[in-house]
Amino acid sequence: MNIHTDMKSDAIVKLDGVVKKFGEFTAVERADFEIGRGEFLAIMGSSGCGKTTTLRMLAGLEDPTEGDIWLDGERVNGKATWDRDTPMVWQSLALFPFLTVQENVEFSLRMRGISKSERTERARKWLDKMQILEFADRNISQLSGGQRQRVALARALVTEPKILLLDEPLSALDAHLKVRMQAVLSNLQKDLGITFVYVTHSMSEAFAMADRVVIMSRGRIEQIGTPQEIYHAPRNRFVAEFLGSANIFSGRLAGTSGDDWLIDTDHGRFAVSALHAPAKSPGDAVTFIVSAENMRISPEGSGVPGIRARVVGEEFVGATAIVFLETESGEELKVQKSHGELASVDLHPGSTLILHWESETCHVLPGE
Amino acid sequence: MTIRRPRLFPLVLSLPLLLWQLAFFLFPLVFLVAISFWTVRNFQMTPDLDFGNWERILTRNTFWDAYARTAMLATASAVLTSLIAFPAAYAISFKLSDRVKQWLIFVLIIPFFTSYLVRIYALQVFLSDAGIINALLGMLGIGPFLMLNTTFGTLVGMVTLCLPLVILLQIFSLNFVNRDLIEAAHNLRCGRLRTVFLVIVPSARVGLVIAALFAFILSFGDFVSPLYLGGGNPPTLSIMITDITKSGQQWPRAAVVALMMIGTLLTVAFAAITFAYKERGK
Repeated sequence: MNIHTDMKSDAIVKLDGVVKKFGEFTAVERADFEIGRGEFLAIMGSSGCGKTTTLRMLAGLEDPTEGDIWLDGERVNGKATWDRDTPMVWQSLALFPFLTVQENVEFSLRMRGISKSERTERARKWLDKMQILEFADRNISQLSGGQRQRVALARALVTEPKILLLDEPLSALDAHLKVRMQAVLSNLQKDLGITFVYVTHSMSEAFAMADRVVIMSRGRIEQIGTPQEIYHAPRNRFVAEFLGSANIFSGRLAGTSGDDWLIDTDHGRFAVSALHAPAKSPGDAVTFIVSAENMRISPEGSGVPGIRARVVGEEFVGATAIVFLETESGEELKVQKSHGELASVDLHPGSTLILHWESETCHVLPGE
Repeated sequence: MTIRRPRLFPLVLSLPLLLWQLAFFLFPLVFLVAISFWTVRNFQMTPDLDFGNWERILTRNTFWDAYARTAMLATASAVLTSLIAFPAAYAISFKLSDRVKQWLIFVLIIPFFTSYLVRIYALQVFLSDAGIINALLGMLGIGPFLMLNTTFGTLVGMVTLCLPLVILLQIFSLNFVNRDLIEAAHNLRCGRLRTVFLVIVPSARVGLVIAALFAFILSFGDFVSPLYLGGGNPPTLSIMITDITKSGQQWPRAAVVALMMIGTLLTVAFAAITFAYKERGK
């Protein structure tokens, strides 16, 4: 499987071997991907992974060191941000505190020399759309976080661009408002039908809104795919660990049994579904994952074959709980189950359980 | 009482300042107000409650001419200094590395090491009819120009006095401009030069206005430049004060002029600070 999903014939953005270096430091090692017209693409990764640098290159705030960026069929390397039509929403929002709400929204229209009456009309239309028309004459400092967010969106969208760039715009909001703004953004993107490129470190934000997600680490693209693809079939150990919900096992391919592979690990031999697995020969190293919710638990002494592990602790996640366990060799494992399912076993820290799973719920990491 | 302690702390901490201001600013000011009502007979000041000094000064055209001249000079100095300083402050704040910035700020402090009076004497040598500038211009076949004992000369001195302070205040205020705002303006199609006027200047408004205010205050009360570079005639208010005290011990009338100056500076400072902090929108 290629890490890059199929080329979109109707791409609005194309990154072709894009590299960005700051002196000795390589911020983006090599970016090759396309963004479709009307697509909601999230670029996700921890801080310093190159996601913001990638976004800034699209905006024209940084120039690639190598490679080409194509925007709507035009190569835009070296084209200044003020000559592009790539408005961005900043993490800090970057609203002008010395202008009123409406003047902020009118700003880019004013820069295009649009007449005062048309500016007012278009700005007010967007303020209305964002449900903040009543604050048109207010100062920015008098608005709440959510209202400022809407001003920033109206200011960026007032020129009706084909693409909107967003750099962690929701990170300053509290959880409740964040979820509400996610819905606003999602609906807005669907209504307008324009491309959103959304940079975030939050998996929940990316997976909730995006059509496709790009996962980056240390300047490299680790995987591109739909949230479903990434969640169920992470490409490599990094992505699996980043998602945080999977147990990762390494071993060597011993042979096959029907459609399954037999893999020898430190914990014994396991049968693993090889449906999406790359071609391997016996003796090759294989890494596979079993997600926490696919793990099964049985009490010690029940005679079920599996991995013996000691309970370390438990964390409540709504209707479910995540049980953290440790094997004799010190490996950390986790199991996510409903409270009802967990009631049948002894979960005292220190008690021992047997962990096992069905071979078809395993996923072999193709990129390892 | 843990709740009351924080209220007492600021008072205790600002006590040295309060005492100093009380002893060396407020008390002399009250004294100044008092003697402006005193009378002078036979070169002797007598405590009195006489409005004659105020009437005498405020009805005289020479006072109002000097007042207008001083205000004009201070305004011109504040505007000129701000305009000369801004491009350099902009370059230092936005275009240079932190290391170079530190060095330049150090260099800008150097003028404070030498006495203003000494620097003005040096300027006299430069500006005089047979001075260095005219000598150089003469080699090119231009001039000589009359620079010493003119308004131009006064302004050269005032701007020289104010520049280091104004540029430092401007640099510090520009350093606090949110860089995201500049990128956001560029991103919204605002070019570099327009961004300076539409985003950077409004963002740094408080600091820029206060820098200009300092230039106005320093120039309004300056005595050295108008006297040694401007020739002292016609007089500015500070020269007028010394002239009045010299002629017949008229300290009460000099106090009236001084109080008019203080009142003007308070008004200008209040107006400037109100303008600087004024917020847009309802």
